[in-house]
Amino acid sequence: MKLHEKMLTHYLSCTSPVDKEGYLYKKKERNATYQRRWFVLKANLLFYQDRPADRHLLGVIVLEGCAVRRSEPDGQFTFSLVFEGPGLKTYRFAAGDGQTQESWVKALLSASHCYLSLLVRDLGRQYEEAKQQQGSGESRPSSSVSALKQSTPNFLFPVQGPTAVVRVGRSFSAGTALQAPSIPTKVVAKKSPKLWPRRNAHVTPLNGPAPLYGEWPLVDFDPLQDFSKLHDYYGQEVKKAREEWLRSRRAEEEHSDGDLIDLG
Amino acid sequence: MRFNEKELVSLSRQPSEMAAELGMRGPKKGDVVKKRLVKLVVNFLFYFRTDEEEPIGALLLEQCRVEREDRQSFSIAFLDEAERKYLFECDSEEQCREWVDSIMKASYEFMRKNLIFYRTEIHRLTGKDPLEQYGISDETRFQVNNGLRLMPRDTSSL
Repeated sequence: MKLHEKMLTHYLSCTSPVDKEGYLYKKKERNATYQRRWFVLKANLLFYQDRPADRHLLGVIVLEGCAVRRSEPDGQFTFSLVFEGPGLKTYRFAAGDGQTQESWVKALLSASHCYLSLLVRDLGRQYEEAKQQQGSGESRPSSSVSALKQSTPNFLFPVQGPTAVVRVGRSFSAGTALQAPSIPTKVVAKKSPKLWPRRNAHVTPLNGPAPLYGEWPLVDFDPLQDFSKLHDYYGQEVKKAREEWLRSRRAEEEHSDGDLIDLG
Repeated sequence: MRFNEKELVSLSRQPSEMAAELGMRGPKKGDVVKKRLVKLVVNFLFYFRTDEEEPIGALLLEQCRVEREDRQSFSIAFLDEAERKYLFECDSEEQCREWVDSIMKASYEFMRKNLIFYRTEIHRLTGKDPLEQYGISDETRFQVNNGLRLMPRDTSSL
């Protein structure tokens, strides 16, 4: 397969930021010796050359589909890039000291396009939520951040594949879902023109913006697929609310039947 | 220049939403349009001969300009050589639009800019840095200043 090298070298030399560079020892596959190389990490590409001043690039490693592994503490500060799949390589490196090793491992862990894509999606959701909270005038930042803290244990590690996205999304909803039923009604009550069209119904408007994924109730069907079930779910809540209201009205009426003034 | 070919070929086999047979023409004089299976995976555009398992080639979609050429075709030009364009012919306007949009959004640099925007805005709205909970707030690649750094890198070593 041909890799259009000029595009890569052009990207390396252009003005977008370098994410990390420095000397590392790279293990040769055949005779297990280490060779010192100058590495430059940019986006999901790890370039290497003999020295920083060299015009000639020795090679590049595309960082997709690999796991970053710290090796056992052996005084050698080693780590590796393990590509997952039959017949795929493992690249082994050694750093000059523990700090260098650690900072390279951290940089490589967050280097893949997949990782960035998940992160952007997650932050996009947080941004929408933060905007909505500002718009409704309610500040509930503590609850959503603590929910996130509970629900993102594995985010730091590179995850691949579509299932990973679903996992992050669902765990995000677990914490905030408990408040889901109250959010639509409260927002409508505030009559925020930015979010909902003017309506009298105290239910989620059907042609208004959908609540954020994090606000869907935690049910055993996929709210995004089975709208009729979701409709029933909210319908039950509305039914309950009506019954309670009727009950409280009846209670009020009973009270008003009695004397308003205690005549002794 | 060496590169991890097997691993890149393996990447080209990952499922992708953007994969279609398009007419493709290379940038050189005398190149003609050929039918290719074009597939977008992360920030690479792979192209295959129809029914072949291994791609003929891979294009890195960074620092490039994607443009509509006419109603059903688009081009990708790499900034250094604006005249050298790869041309792609689609079956419809809609498909063409989809490809241009997807390619633009697939670039790492595009996503990084979005991330920095969200990070800044979330911090402004909530007072909290959303990257702290992931332990990556110090990573150079996510720094807010990066997008604004206009100093060209010293290219004399390359």
